Amino acid sequence: MSGVVVTGWSALTSAGVGVDALAKRLALAEAGQVEKGHEIGDLYEEPMPAANGHFLPSFSPREHLGRKGTSTFDRATGLAVVCCQEALREAGVSLDDEVRPRIGVVLGTSLGSFKSTSDYTRETLVQDKPYLVNPMLFPNTVMNCAAGQVAIRFGLRGANTTIAGGTLGFLNVLRYAGNAIERGHVDVVVAGAVEEFTPHRAWATRLTGATDVVAAGEAAGMFVLAKENTPEWAGTRQRAGVLAVATAYGPGGGEAAETALAGCVHRVLAKAGVEASEVSTVYTGEVEDGDEREFGPIVRVLGHRPDRVMVKRLFGECDAASGAVALGVLLAEDRDARPGGLSLLTARGADGAVGAAIVRRYADGGLDRG
Amino acid sequence: MARVVVTGVGPVSSIGIGIAAFAEALRTGRSGISPITSFDPAGFPHRNAGEVQTFDPGAQLRRVDPAEWGRSSQFAAGAARLALADARLDLTSVAPGRAHAIMGTTSGESAVAEALTAQIIDGGFAAQDPALLTQLPANRLANAVSEELGLSGESLTIATACSASNYAIGYAYDLLAGGEADVVFAGGADSVCRWAHAGFFRLGALAKDACTPFDKDRAGIITGEGGAVLTLETYDHARKRGATVYAELLGYGVNCDAIHPVTPDAPTVAECMRIAHRNSGIAPSDVDYICAHGTGTQVNDLVESKAVIEVFGERPPPISSIKSMLGHTMGAACGFGAIASTVAIDRGFLPPTVNWTTADPELGVDPVPNAARAANVRVVQNDGFAFGGNNAIVMLGAPE
Amino acid sequence: MTQTDTQLEELRELVAEVLELEPEELEDNGDFIDDYEADSLRAIEILARIDKQYKIEIPQAELPELRTLKAVNDALIRHSVKKG
Repeated sequence: MSGVVVTGWSALTSAGVGVDALAKRLALAEAGQVEKGHEIGDLYEEPMPAANGHFLPSFSPREHLGRKGTSTFDRATGLAVVCCQEALREAGVSLDDEVRPRIGVVLGTSLGSFKSTSDYTRETLVQDKPYLVNPMLFPNTVMNCAAGQVAIRFGLRGANTTIAGGTLGFLNVLRYAGNAIERGHVDVVVAGAVEEFTPHRAWATRLTGATDVVAAGEAAGMFVLAKENTPEWAGTRQRAGVLAVATAYGPGGGEAAETALAGCVHRVLAKAGVEASEVSTVYTGEVEDGDEREFGPIVRVLGHRPDRVMVKRLFGECDAASGAVALGVLLAEDRDARPGGLSLLTARGADGAVGAAIVRRYADGGLDRG
Repeated sequence: MARVVVTGVGPVSSIGIGIAAFAEALRTGRSGISPITSFDPAGFPHRNAGEVQTFDPGAQLRRVDPAEWGRSSQFAAGAARLALADARLDLTSVAPGRAHAIMGTTSGESAVAEALTAQIIDGGFAAQDPALLTQLPANRLANAVSEELGLSGESLTIATACSASNYAIGYAYDLLAGGEADVVFAGGADSVCRWAHAGFFRLGALAKDACTPFDKDRAGIITGEGGAVLTLETYDHARKRGATVYAELLGYGVNCDAIHPVTPDAPTVAECMRIAHRNSGIAPSDVDYICAHGTGTQVNDLVESKAVIEVFGERPPPISSIKSMLGHTMGAACGFGAIASTVAIDRGFLPPTVNWTTADPELGVDPVPNAARAANVRVVQNDGFAFGGNNAIVMLGAPE
Repeated sequence: MTQTDTQLEELRELVAEVLELEPEELEDNGDFIDDYEADSLRAIEILARIDKQYKIEIPQAELPELRTLKAVNDALIRHSVKKG
């Protein structure tokens, strides 16, 4: 599939709401540091596995969206809807009833709001009668809740797809969204990923995480994607080009996964029609200097060692949303801090899933086609 | 653009496992509904579901170890294994990286989620079994297919709830038609679970004894489970290896109501039908049969019928619901629908809507009541709608 | 306040929360659907919360009549009495 461009975007991270908050955090970050995140305090009643986490303190969807229609939002839905609002505004998308059927939403996740699912299940186990559950919260128990609420809020009536990709979630989304645009199902996609900070995710990260170096985090990142020949209403600037995306699987993990990842890197270079030498920076899911589960195969294919940015060291383990945060970091970083050229985003799951994307960031402010 | 065909089907269902048993069950209108055993239904006034009773993962699966994968992943892998065998396809002959696994689901590993929740209730979050936690993520469903069949292509789980299999089949269509794949295993899987049973009951959408779609007195869904996978290939790839082609995948349409999290919208559903027809190059008059979403709730069957009348006119094609036999298998539902549509085309009969007694004058459709009907089936519309207004409709046709 | 007054105000708070209103905005005879933009999901939610909080069972068949705070309060009284 051919590439797509980013006409605008936004992110919600432990740095706060929006691009500026993210950029500010990046400007303050010291090379090689691992951010601690915020003190959890009494955010949740339940005991948490760590004192800190990478969440948005005092996050209130109502503050951004008003009261109506938000009272049943779980945290993931709140993050997603606010993020979409910011992204549409940042891109300068102009919505009317004619274009609404042509703009879709593709959202990556691991489990949606697992807190909602588990709490609902809990009610069926502890209540006097097993059916004393709340009907209005039932839609929150399924993974496509956030994407559905995003569509309702902004009237986005094109293809609305939720992808349960875990670590690969955001790359899966870029693939799916690019396909939807290329095949003409939609003209524009709000593509992103979201994960919420809850006891469920914090404990899952602690109990199954490969490392203790970073704590659990939450984030939402959304990017307005369109064909290179962008319709006017989708925004007049082009921030970046997502030139090619490839995902694959290495059955049994281990060496098969490494081979599969190398294959993905080869494929995206070929698809994008670029040389390995042009890739100057890679954004991976690794967290420790000695960990080269992704960097190893990448270097073998590229034939050189590009700069490596380990986004989770700054924003925590955000599972499916970490890939979205990585793209946000790529776009928000001070350009002078990075060599020019292309960037590679990669991911590698706990089983055998792998993926890679090549992104070219455009000049500051993006190409203004206005 | 390459043409896309169905060369194998793999149903793991409450009415039969494997194409022979499944097709025979459709023909005879067999019900897969029985008293719930997978969770303790005490306290629920309604206690039936469409559980898969006879699935033996140890016997069916070759690579995936049931001890390390949840029930839904086992369904997915088992169905894929059947679909591969039914296609008589030698995977070593397929270029590596050009065979993919695309699966749809509503609740992923719901039984695992329940077990973990019980652990949290008993001992707090720290008491959760890490081995269970690793089984939980929904992406495992497609990964189970990739592992079971040794596929190195894309491994994708789409979580668009009750229409998810149609999204999966549709994406598979795009990969094949667009030249990115030679073979795709696409479908969906889900397991019966307590919270869905409770949730639908509380909504007033859960029937007591049987699912009676399109009946005037229809009282809601019966929850179900299973795995449904289709082997999809490019026409050229199938022809070159002399494969038997059951049906052609003509195209699909997706859109979103963007109005209400639960209640479907007839005009948007109708528009999804038109998009599917347009993308498949067919006209409404070409359609011989609609495999309904047909959940058996008052609202769905009314909205679906309204949309059908709007698109097809006052004498629409016959429309039946296999949920009358299987119950609502959630993320697998459209996959079973696609398999039933394939069977209808290949074997020349329309599956019935069983349990039907009283016509509903508001609907104006022919639900193929109670008995399968011999028919020359050239084009089928396979409907899928879901919470979040996630609509997806797939069109299948007779092979040329 | 009498006990019935207390119950009515409790109910007002419960229903107002579901309808995303302040309790003061919810009038005794205000129609949930016509005046407060409720849909069928919110209507069932009101019934479900009352069942849970007051440990009663209002049959879903009565849902179409539960259109105002007064009607809901009457149903609560009716089904509580039946329990006793």
